[in-house]
Amino acid sequence: MISLSKPAKYVFIGKITLRSQLAYVADFIIRSLFLILILYIFMQLWQTTYSGVGSSSINGFTFKQMMWYLVFTESMVLATPSLCTRIEEEVKSGDVAFKLIRPVNFITFHYVEYMSEVAIRFIINLLLGSAIGLLLVGPPPVGNGLVWLPLLTLGGFTVNFMLGMLVALSSFWVEETRGLEFVYNKILFTVGGMLMPLELFPDTLQKAGHWMPFQTIVYFPARTAVSMHHGEIASMLALQGLWAALVGSVIWLVYRKGVRKLNVNGG
Amino acid sequence: MKTIQVEQLEKIFQVKKKQHGLSGSLKSLFKPQYADKTAVEGITFSVNQSETVAFLGPNGAGKSTTIKMLTGILHPSSGSATVLGCCPWTERSKLAYRIGSVFGQKSQLWYHLPPLDTFELMSRIYELRREDYKARRDNLIERFELGTYLHTPVRKLSLGERMRCEIAASLLHRPQALFLDEPTIGLDAVVKQRIRELIVEMNREEGTTIFLTSHDAGDIEKLCDRAIVINHGGLVFDGQVDYMKQQFLTHKTVQLVLENDPGELAAPGVSVLNQGGCRITLSVDTGITTIEAVLAALMASHRIVDMTVQDPPMEDIITRMYGTFQVKEVSL
Repeated sequence: MISLSKPAKYVFIGKITLRSQLAYVADFIIRSLFLILILYIFMQLWQTTYSGVGSSSINGFTFKQMMWYLVFTESMVLATPSLCTRIEEEVKSGDVAFKLIRPVNFITFHYVEYMSEVAIRFIINLLLGSAIGLLLVGPPPVGNGLVWLPLLTLGGFTVNFMLGMLVALSSFWVEETRGLEFVYNKILFTVGGMLMPLELFPDTLQKAGHWMPFQTIVYFPARTAVSMHHGEIASMLALQGLWAALVGSVIWLVYRKGVRKLNVNGG
Repeated sequence: MKTIQVEQLEKIFQVKKKQHGLSGSLKSLFKPQYADKTAVEGITFSVNQSETVAFLGPNGAGKSTTIKMLTGILHPSSGSATVLGCCPWTERSKLAYRIGSVFGQKSQLWYHLPPLDTFELMSRIYELRREDYKARRDNLIERFELGTYLHTPVRKLSLGERMRCEIAASLLHRPQALFLDEPTIGLDAVVKQRIRELIVEMNREEGTTIFLTSHDAGDIEKLCDRAIVINHGGLVFDGQVDYMKQQFLTHKTVQLVLENDPGELAAPGVSVLNQGGCRITLSVDTGITTIEAVLAALMASHRIVDMTVQDPPMEDIITRMYGTFQVKEVSL
C-alpha cells in the first residue's frame, strides 16, 4: 500500500496550509494596515533627512527608492510568522508528538508550512504596501530588479526560516525562547537592512554586515528591486543558497541532538 | 515475533530545582541545580499481535512517558524496546508507517478544515496509493458513520464527532498496532460505547494490536483482555483483566429484598450501603467473611424474597488496586 511519493506529501502539506491560512486572511489584512502607519512615519523621517542633506540622493538612493525599499522590507518582515512561538507552543502543549510520530521530516514540514503561510501574508502585504507606495511617492522605479524579486524573496525567506528555526529549536532545551527571538529580530531590523539599506551604514558595520547571513534576507531582495547592480544577482543567489545550506546543516545537527533531549510535556 | 517487546526500559528526566523566594530564584539562575526524576523504572513486558492491552496507572505513573518511548517520541535513559521489530527511537520514521496513535487530549485534525482534508493529508503523509486510500477512506466513513459531517470544518464538530474522525484518521494507513491514550476522555456514554465497539471491530477484523491507556474503567472492561499496571514508574501487575478483577475484587455487593424489615444489621465484614425497609444493599468483604456465611446468617432469621450478588464496578477495583499499591510502597 506504500508508493514512492515523498516530495508529493510536502507539496500537499503546502497546499493544505495555504487553504487553512485562508481562514486568517481578514486577520492578515488588519495586521497589514500597520504598514500604513510605518510607511507614513518613515516617509516623514526620510523627507526631513533628504531636505536636511539637501541632496536628491543619499549613498545612491533617491527618496522614492528609499520608500519603495521600505515597502519591500516591511512587507517581508511583517509576513514572517514567529517560529519560536510555534515550536515553543508545540513543545509545551505536547503537540510536537504528532509531528514526530508521523512519517514526515519535522524541519521540512515546518519549512513548507512556513513558506505557504509567508506566501499569503507577503502577497497581502505587498499589495497593500504597493498601494500605499503608489499613493505616497508614485510608482516604483521600474527595472530588471523587480523581475528577480520573487526568486530573491524565496531565498530570503528560506534563510530567515533557517535562522528562525535555529533559534526556535532551543525550545527543546529551554522553556522560553522569545527573548532570543527578540534579539534576532532586532539584528534583522538593523544589520539585516530592514530599516535602511546597508549602503547607509558606517563602513565597518557595512563590512561586518556583508559577512553575516542577515543581509540575504530582506536587503538582497529589496535592494535588487529598487536598485539592481548588474552582475550581482548570481552572487546574491549563491550567497543565499550557501547560508541556507550552512545554517540548514547546523539546524539538522541541533535537531538531532535536541530530539534526544526532548522532554514532551504532559507525559 | 512479539508486536511490542520491552526490556528494562527506564526514563529519567532532569528537573530543575528552584528554591523559595527571590534569592532562591537568583541562585538557581546562576547556579541551577537539577534533580533526577524517574518517570519509568526498568519495566519489562511484551505484547503479542492482535492483543488488546490496557496500560494502567494513576496520574504520573509513567504511562504516557512509556507510550511516547514506544512510539519513538522520547529516547529512554536505558533499556531497550522493539515495536513491530523496529527500535522506536532510532527507526521512528520506518515505524511510523506501521503504527497509529490517538491522543484523546490532542487533535491531529486541521482545525479550520473539514475532516476530509485531514484524511487526504494523511493519505499523502503515509504515501498511500490513491485507489487503496479511497477504498479505505470510504470503508472507514461508512463504519464510523462520518458521512454527514465530512465537509464540516473541524472547529464546528462536537467532541464525539471529532473523536470518531481522529480514530478514523489514525486507521487510514492500516496500522498493525494502535496506541490509544485516553481515547474516550470527555465523551458521553453513548459515544464512548460506539467508539469502543468500533475499536473492538477493528481489532477483531484486522488483527490490530491495541495498546490503551485510560482512566475509564469501561474502556478497560469493554476493550481489553489483558492489563499491565504501573505505579511510580515500576510494573506492579501484568495479567488478564479477569484475573485482575479477581485479585482485587475483595468486596461484593449483595442486593436483598426480605419479607420483613430486618431492623439493624451488623456482622463482621458486612457493611450496609443502603437500607429502605425490606430492601437492603450490603457490601461484603470477602477477605473477612463469605457470601455464603452472610446469607446463611440472614436466612436463619429472615425470609429472602429476592437476591442479586454483583461485582463492584471496575472503577472501584482500580481505585482499590491503586490504593493497595500506595500502601505497599509506603510500608516498604
